[in-house]
Amino acid sequence: MGKVFSLAWRLFRHEARRGELTIILAAIILSVAAVLSLSLFSERLQGALTERSASFLAADRQLQARQPLDDNWMAAARSQSLATAAQVQTRSMVFSKGKMSLTDLRAINGDYPLKGAITVADKPFGTAAPITEVPEPGQAWIDSRLFQLLDIKLGDSIEIGDASFTVSRVLGQIPDAGFSLFSTDPLVLIRQTDLAKANITGPGSRVTYKAYFAGDNTSLEQYYEWLRPQLDDEIHRWQSVEDDTSAIGKSVARAGQYFLLASLLAIVLAAVSIAVAAQRYSQRHFDPVAIMKTLGATQSMIRQVYTLQIFFISALGIIIGIAAGVAIQQAVVSALADKVEVSLAVWHWRPVIIAVFTGVICAVLFSMYPLLRLFSIPPLRVLRRDMDATLSSKTLQFAVSGLAVFLLMWAYSQNLKISAILFASGVVLVAGLIAVTYGLIFIGRKLGSSKMGPWQLAWARIHRRAMDNSVQLISFSITIMLLLIVLVMRNDMVAQWQAQLPTGTPNYFLINITEEQKPDLNAHFAENDVRIEQFYPVVRGRFVAVNEQRVSTEVTKEDDPQDDNGRDGLGREANLTWSNTLQHENKIVAGSWHGDATASQDGYAVSVESDVADRLEIALGDTLTFNVGSEVVKARVTSFREVNWQTMQPNFFFVLSPAAMRDYTPTYITSFYLPTERKAGLTELLKPFPSITLFDVDARINQLRGIVEQVSLAVEFILVLVLIAGSLVLIAQVQASMDERQQELAILRTLGAKGRLIRASVIYEFVIIGVVAGFMAALANELSLYLLQTQLFNMTPSVHPEYWLIAPVTGALVVGALGAIGCWRLLTLNTSDLLRKIM
Amino acid sequence: MIKTSNITKKVTTNEGLLEILKPISFEVKSGESVAIVGASGSGKSTLLGLLAGLDEVSEGEIFLDDEPLHKMDEEQRAQLRGAKVGFIFQSFMLVQSLSALENVMLPAQIAGMDDARRQALTILEQVGLGHRASHYPNQLSGGEQQRVAIARAFIGQPKILFADEPTGNLDAANSEKIEKLLFTLNRELGTTLILVTHDEELASRCDRQLMMQAGQLTEATTVQPDSTPHASTTAAVRHG
Repeated sequence: MGKVFSLAWRLFRHEARRGELTIILAAIILSVAAVLSLSLFSERLQGALTERSASFLAADRQLQARQPLDDNWMAAARSQSLATAAQVQTRSMVFSKGKMSLTDLRAINGDYPLKGAITVADKPFGTAAPITEVPEPGQAWIDSRLFQLLDIKLGDSIEIGDASFTVSRVLGQIPDAGFSLFSTDPLVLIRQTDLAKANITGPGSRVTYKAYFAGDNTSLEQYYEWLRPQLDDEIHRWQSVEDDTSAIGKSVARAGQYFLLASLLAIVLAAVSIAVAAQRYSQRHFDPVAIMKTLGATQSMIRQVYTLQIFFISALGIIIGIAAGVAIQQAVVSALADKVEVSLAVWHWRPVIIAVFTGVICAVLFSMYPLLRLFSIPPLRVLRRDMDATLSSKTLQFAVSGLAVFLLMWAYSQNLKISAILFASGVVLVAGLIAVTYGLIFIGRKLGSSKMGPWQLAWARIHRRAMDNSVQLISFSITIMLLLIVLVMRNDMVAQWQAQLPTGTPNYFLINITEEQKPDLNAHFAENDVRIEQFYPVVRGRFVAVNEQRVSTEVTKEDDPQDDNGRDGLGREANLTWSNTLQHENKIVAGSWHGDATASQDGYAVSVESDVADRLEIALGDTLTFNVGSEVVKARVTSFREVNWQTMQPNFFFVLSPAAMRDYTPTYITSFYLPTERKAGLTELLKPFPSITLFDVDARINQLRGIVEQVSLAVEFILVLVLIAGSLVLIAQVQASMDERQQELAILRTLGAKGRLIRASVIYEFVIIGVVAGFMAALANELSLYLLQTQLFNMTPSVHPEYWLIAPVTGALVVGALGAIGCWRLLTLNTSDLLRKIM
Repeated sequence: MIKTSNITKKVTTNEGLLEILKPISFEVKSGESVAIVGASGSGKSTLLGLLAGLDEVSEGEIFLDDEPLHKMDEEQRAQLRGAKVGFIFQSFMLVQSLSALENVMLPAQIAGMDDARRQALTILEQVGLGHRASHYPNQLSGGEQQRVAIARAFIGQPKILFADEPTGNLDAANSEKIEKLLFTLNRELGTTLILVTHDEELASRCDRQLMMQAGQLTEATTVQPDSTPHASTTAAVRHG
């Protein structure tokens, strides 16, 4: 073993020094570095985004209950080194100077919030800034709107229940305020210890008790495991950041999927580049192996020597790759430091393990077939140079490579679906490419017989090297396909995100507008150059029965503002609207839209939001009963609507036919967009309409947009990383195939072929390969994207015909240019050097 | 040293089974130098490959130093080559990534010899390339590369040396040097030499000349005056 080791080591050292190993080493370094930097970056980014999402929960996990929480639970959490905080939420009347208003009262302890921050402003409707303090006992921090409603100022006192509080700050936002347009009362923040004095949480009052937990994931999971058996689904609700189904939660989740996808594609790229490099490595060692065998080296010795070589190469590649990966990642993070919140303090081991694992698996599985070929080289090759490896099973090669890629993807993503989608597209692509290769052979045969110009030379080469070219074509196509997937996916995703919140998205809502105020409001806003959106009529009703069967409030989780965004209208108090036309971003998923239908013998028509319909087990044709004031309104369910809650638009659970509501006096709700810089003039703008309530979602929209922008930017960087990795892989591929063309170039050169002819023929050859690879990649890309978008990303699938042109053209340009560069390098050598190179 | 009996080589081609070598039987004694001459494509190299155990016979028996080559598998043949056989090729066949010294050391290392380096240096000195030991093949001229190959062939003190057109890629002056070296070492070490060549001059320096013609081997009729007298008496070439 010692002598084998020393021989292997010697060969390794010399070959490394002479640059023989550069390509395979570069492939491993590239793979490890790409996988590491991508997954490290995405893990950190994901961490930062999760952290940011956590701020909307005010913690990593939240427990809500309809009854006071067991003190022991909090103590147990603290004993497991989790941070805890508490809040009691209820709706309560607040009085001041003879005025009163219903408020959303939050009584917090001193540790709240664990994530995110409370923001306060120095004056009502002023710009809010984060603060680390909480209200002192006896103090209340109140929403800008409440100053307006109660007509008070800072320092005044307010009454809540039996207690009196001094208003000491203008409350901007609390992390888990939730977003809901209706029935959202102004926030009031007090200390939990003051709640008993107020004496408002007696029997019959509707109170939500919340406990907050923060800490590392393992502790949180352990704690939940311990806690779960003690929870009652009817009373308790456990929430984690991942459960966040809001727009932000979804964007973050989708970005996470994208990072995963990009990392997976990087792994496949890595695999392709290693496969190509290993093939070349094997071919370049045919002679030394034949010589060694001739000189008496046994099969097992050759096996040991070259297995050790691969081991040395992999080990070196992995070490350098990790260093490079960390460096790249660090560079990206520092470049983005001021744009994306990525915590550098956290070090994640998982990406490192994945990268090493990728390097090892790729090196082992992808060099397996080339090595087996190498081992099978007959010693007779020393006499007969044309003798090739005796092992040449392409099926084995494809099977082993395919298996390796699939295993890697699966192991990494732990997501069978995404791995299967990508793998299936790959298989379809490979099958298609093999068919195309044979097509090319056919064309080549037809063209090969005419005069020898560069085109004919190119076709002749493609024809003759059909099998080699098929491998090359496959690797080019896969590389281009992967780049396309990452690029198009990013474009679609960012476009869909931005479409949710285009510039000019209304950032203020006005509610409680009366019929009489509508024209004045319109005129006043027009004067001030602010465009008012559509007015939606709203009548407050109570949803009481389905087919005469009473609905219990427990089932509906009535007016729970922490429930998913927009569901607040559900339950005891429902906001009913009516319309002939279907709202923007609403889609009928069952039944048919009532349109202009008037009352029929079945009563009036109502369209119900599909999730609510599911939850309340409402079927098409059911009759719903609402109490509006002292009247009863019955309506038959004629359609279910899917509503995009991610749009910052007023959305409704129940939309009735206008006829049903003609006897009721509605108030109206509308929205408008006001640029942030005009915010100061807001109070002035609304002065003539003191009874209209303003609801400010500007901060919320900015927050959302900030996240979308951050995520888009991060996605962009991931894209750039993958593009760079992909380009390097392409270069390596061209370089590897250049070697194989050396001999022919040398002969052509010797025979007096002009550089121009040779160059042109090589370029044409690569252009043909590039066009075919690009076109096939574009087709396979459509398939993968369709599967990914429909199965994984829950996006609207899109077709991208433009890439059917862009991909072949770019493929031809890039591959052709790389071929030209490689060829140019060879043609700068004089003929004898060229001949010497191939001897 | 070498004994063959009715060896043939057949290969399958698109046109069916092709017999490259007709049944061949002959013997070579220890220390003899034998030239196999013949036109291109006559089967010289195929025969050399079979004799050296690089290829398998289709039929017949080959004994190399009394060992039945025809019964051995590739592993056993490799071990036999390592222990008893040296090679020189027309295209030198040096490992490009190893220096001259390391190329020479290679067989000794494969055989597990301890003082490979010292022996390699000694023999490189002998072929006049001691000062170029650290050079790589592409830094050496053709003649020098072939001298390295000769040094590599002789390092294990093989009992049999096979040379395939050893001067085929060299000019006259270098050819002369290489031939001299080859025969000197052959004589000094008592190695049996089997040489495939086109070069009549080179062939004439061997004890015996065997002629390959369309897969058939015959003893060459003209024996040069300077060849050793026992040549014709020891040859036993039979056909059929």
